[in-house]
Amino acid sequence: MSTSEPLRLTVPATLLDARAATERVVSLCDRFNTEDRADYATAVMEWLVNVVKHSYSHAPGAQIKICALAGPEAIELMVEDTGRGMAPWQFDAAPAEVRFDPTDVYKLPESGMGLAIIKSVMDSVRYDSHSGVNRLTAVRRWQR
Amino acid sequence: MLMEDVLEGDCLIVSLNEKRLDAVIAANFREALVARIDQGQRNIVLDMSHVSFMDSSGLGAVVYVLKHIGHDGRLRICGVTPGVMAVLKLTRMDRVLKTFETREAAIAA
Repeated sequence: MSTSEPLRLTVPATLLDARAATERVVSLCDRFNTEDRADYATAVMEWLVNVVKHSYSHAPGAQIKICALAGPEAIELMVEDTGRGMAPWQFDAAPAEVRFDPTDVYKLPESGMGLAIIKSVMDSVRYDSHSGVNRLTAVRRWQR
Repeated sequence: MLMEDVLEGDCLIVSLNEKRLDAVIAANFREALVARIDQGQRNIVLDMSHVSFMDSSGLGAVVYVLKHIGHDGRLRICGVTPGVMAVLKLTRMDRVLKTFETREAAIAA
């Protein structure tokens, strides 16, 4: 069994840095096939953008801590922020799939799809908020 | 944001020459497409062959454009890469957005 060293990043809470951090995390994912790698990249970006836009509301000087560990069976991701976050029950209550009526173009969702993407891509995902720290912990196996 | 327009008959082909359609450029992308529609272009093919990654913000912008063009307009997408198809499938928007392998197929549809 071989396990890589964890990737630890602390990045400014901006969209550009969310993009760069996603690319760093996904660089650990050479054991995914092309499709799974794309799914995982999307899920990571969704959460980091969620933190930038909603938890911090683009607050200047805010930071995001990221730890990713590529293990023998799975990749583990932990993301921490100290913004306003959300109540854990709200995270838990979010559906794991994007729901809409495909026949009604004008009611198609334009936002609010991120949590469903994260929940559908990750094998396990947990969100908690304690003492001012919001933490997402997610695990995705290399092979499903 | 790098975009290139080519007019073929009444069809405007818009190539998004960026690697990523994500939260960083989604708003600019949306406004650029809306401007083309508001200028009278109702038949658009969006060529995404350069885009290897799209997140839900980028997808939301495409959906906004689809709504803005309305039932009397046409929006088709060509050159969908695996990274773009990933988010279309994850959100099941592949059932709604009309995608084609090539630019020619999209124009002819």
